[in-house]
Amino acid sequence: MTAKLRISSLAAAIGLSLFATAALAQFYPTKPLKLVLPYSPGGVVDFVGRTVAQHLGDVLGQPVVADNRPGAGGIVGTDVVARAQPDGYTLLLMDPAIVINPTLQDSVPYDLFKQLDTISVVSSSPLVLVVAPGLNVKTFDEFVAYGKANPGKLNFASAGIGTTPHLAGEMYKQSTGITATHIPYKGIGASYTDMMSNKVQFAFSSIAGALPFTTDNRVIALATTGEARNEVYADKPTMSEAGLKGFSVDLWLAVFAPVGMPADVKTKLNAAIGTALQKPDLKAAFAKVGVSPRGTTAEAGGTFVKADYDKWKKVIVDGKIKPTN
Amino acid sequence: MDFLTNLGTGFGVALTVTNLLYCFVGVLLGTLVGVLPGIGPVTTVAMLLPFSFTLPPESALIMLAGIYYGAQYGGSTTAILVNIPGEASSVVTTIDGHKMALAGRAGPALGIAALGSFFAGCVATVLIVVAAPPLAAIALSFGPAEYFSLMVCGLVAAIVLARGSVVKALGMMVLGLMFGLVGTDINSGIRRFTFGFRGLADGIEFVALSMAVYGLADIALNLEKKEENVEVHSRIGRVWPTWADIRHCIPAILRGTGLGSVLGVLPGGGALLAAFAAYTLEKKVAKKPRSFGDGDIRGVAAPESANNAGAQTSFIPMLTLGIPSNPTMAMMIGAMMIHGISPGPRVMTDRPGLFWGLIVSMWLGNLMLVILNLPLIGMWVKLLRMPYRLLYPSIVVFCCIGTYTVNSNLFDVYVMAFFAVFGYVCVKLECEPAPLILGFVLGPMMEENLRRSLLISRGDAMVFVQEPISLFFLIVAAGLLLVVALPGIRRTREEAMQE
Amino acid sequence: MLKIKAGKDFWSGIMFLCFAIVELYIARGYSMGSSGEMGPGYFPVVLGIVLGALGALLVARAIIAGDEPVAGASIRPLLLLVASVVVFGVTIEPLGLVLSLVLTVAIAALAGRQSGPLEIALLAAALAVLSVGIFHFALLLPLPIWPAL
Repeated sequence: MTAKLRISSLAAAIGLSLFATAALAQFYPTKPLKLVLPYSPGGVVDFVGRTVAQHLGDVLGQPVVADNRPGAGGIVGTDVVARAQPDGYTLLLMDPAIVINPTLQDSVPYDLFKQLDTISVVSSSPLVLVVAPGLNVKTFDEFVAYGKANPGKLNFASAGIGTTPHLAGEMYKQSTGITATHIPYKGIGASYTDMMSNKVQFAFSSIAGALPFTTDNRVIALATTGEARNEVYADKPTMSEAGLKGFSVDLWLAVFAPVGMPADVKTKLNAAIGTALQKPDLKAAFAKVGVSPRGTTAEAGGTFVKADYDKWKKVIVDGKIKPTN
Repeated sequence: MDFLTNLGTGFGVALTVTNLLYCFVGVLLGTLVGVLPGIGPVTTVAMLLPFSFTLPPESALIMLAGIYYGAQYGGSTTAILVNIPGEASSVVTTIDGHKMALAGRAGPALGIAALGSFFAGCVATVLIVVAAPPLAAIALSFGPAEYFSLMVCGLVAAIVLARGSVVKALGMMVLGLMFGLVGTDINSGIRRFTFGFRGLADGIEFVALSMAVYGLADIALNLEKKEENVEVHSRIGRVWPTWADIRHCIPAILRGTGLGSVLGVLPGGGALLAAFAAYTLEKKVAKKPRSFGDGDIRGVAAPESANNAGAQTSFIPMLTLGIPSNPTMAMMIGAMMIHGISPGPRVMTDRPGLFWGLIVSMWLGNLMLVILNLPLIGMWVKLLRMPYRLLYPSIVVFCCIGTYTVNSNLFDVYVMAFFAVFGYVCVKLECEPAPLILGFVLGPMMEENLRRSLLISRGDAMVFVQEPISLFFLIVAAGLLLVVALPGIRRTREEAMQE
Repeated sequence: MLKIKAGKDFWSGIMFLCFAIVELYIARGYSMGSSGEMGPGYFPVVLGIVLGALGALLVARAIIAGDEPVAGASIRPLLLLVASVVVFGVTIEPLGLVLSLVLTVAIAALAGRQSGPLEIALLAAALAVLSVGIFHFALLLPLPIWPAL
């Protein structure tokens, strides 16, 4: 990212924008791109976003600048992109909150399906069910049995109302019929002290959050929530394998763009993301935080996002999970 | 002789040319972002995180750690020179530090801040080496009930920050707690007191509030005070603290270091509480407490030692338990994970080079900071010789950019404009901002832990007195309230009666 | 004999009361919940009542025990200062850092009435160069530098 590069790309940008707004795909991109990350620096979205930005920039031959626009659980950053020009220069990286917020909140400023286009689902990572060591349960079955035998005693931690760990917990309650009190924290990392001292008994945690505590069994990992087993917890069953058929929660990340992008630009962008996701450096970086690179076509990505929207909508409506006054 | 072997391992890692270089880069960057209002170590560390992937893990962590404690040094500079707390923990430093600068003693203030920080840094480093596991146990024994009681204790202690009326100080503190409520309630998910602004969904931005009530309100007052010829910082005075200054401060530095080392271990507001507690303690034990608030050098030495000690010991729960005590530590954990290291008790045994190297590098980094900062004091003090008519627009510019870059959100800039007016009114009414800021930072944590305790205890309030640590803090708080508040109220009454 | 002289304590009390009343008015829309599951209204209502009481105490004390008058205020510097901040907010995204800073510095300098146009121009230029150097090149923050075309 040298000064010279910036100046020349600026000159190019000024020159080009005088002629046309719809850039031709063969020239795209002619100026730096912006990848909006709707969360504060730090955390998985930020890390994955910056890694993707770096490698995507190499593939496209133009820098991709990561731009943190935190606020209101991702709504602020998502809205910035929903209202941006569909010229292929403003992109969004977002997690399942983008499909959860429209159902959970009374109103969100963007229309997920009319204003935003899925370009590619870039990564998948399951959550991991962790339990307090004080419960003395070693397997998923024992945990379910404990919950049934001790109604009203269990607490589960989450990273806040409507976050994936919260909704996964609610889905667990709905599918097993177990009762448990929801204890929200600011980020799942903050809950581990209370879990170690058995004030909170279980959580569906991100892998990155759980790893430091499960390696020496200060909390016990029981199962992961992916479709297939995760490399990091290869010896732990998936929730389906453990007996809850169809229980799958994916902390996916996808690149979105404003609707109306020229088709050839979209194709080129999708291909570039696919190439970036194949890079060994990127794969290595993803693997460290328990994230697997994915890469889909735009169509498959759109279908996937819609399916996830429907899944969470059902959990939220069935569980009557709403911010209440 | 484990101890010496470990230190030897540490020096072996930290003293390589590469690691010394990254340590230096870290503390230099840290000082820079610390001096600049607004942008802080969290943002800087996050931006360098992907880059650190290309470095060996030792170098990466040494550099990132340097940014963090370097920023603590830099933050006090801005607090003393232009009355803007770079971080919550340097709010206390503004009280006496800036008064010293106004009285032409900016040099000694900066000097004692650097020396106190260095001493605290050294002690805290030794503490990490010899007592990390027992100190880490403190962090583990704190549940929501303990935190709630600690917050109560901290808020009660804040009353002594007040120089004037105790009632006003209490009022400002409660107002601060209220401002802290703005935003999304984490227990229910609803947005409180946002007046329909989406920009307030995550609450009032700390940087915007603190720069407004300190920096901008201060400028407005200076401008109207001397509209004829504004030369506020005309006197410079000597650049170095005298021996007498240093001797005067030694007990304060020692007490500050002790308090900071213990409180820094606690996740949450550790470093902030440490700075406030150290100031409170000095004011209580001092023979002439009245000089506090008017530029008492001990009022700089104690909190600066405390927040630096706290910054250092906040590595303990991160390194030994894998528990992040603040956002920067969360990112350090991220950095370790990127390199395939799981933070936790095993780091010490599995990666001794990394563990001890990092700790030794902290000591070296502190040394670099003192060497870097002491000569810079002359330069900083010269900055005050800059005519105020040129200095204040520069402060305005850095406040604006600083606030904007925190979240790239324009709304925060307007929030700052609003609170500038509020801060101005407060100063006119002699309502001091320090208790407001403390309430603002601690309020959300206090409510969160109160509600969490009661959720877990299923509504039984006895939990606060059944847990021994919690009970201890409540008793201390009650004691403080009696000792501090009663004579305070009586005194102001007497003063009022005499008029 | 009881002559109310509105001074620092009196107005502080009024300010606290105003904040308390507005806060309680808004908080009435939030549920109180129970002690086991405190609603979002519980803590705010407690704070509102405490602040209101402190405000009332200040006002009462000011009336009974007397009060110090508020020092005179001149609004001009404050207003221009606030205006310069608002102008920064309005212009930073459309105009970019450089032009926005020139405007901000110019208005801020007016607040002090001390600098001539040349000095303001030089200061603005210096600050613009410094800021671009620090924030754009050294810290790599994604700030717009020039107007977006």
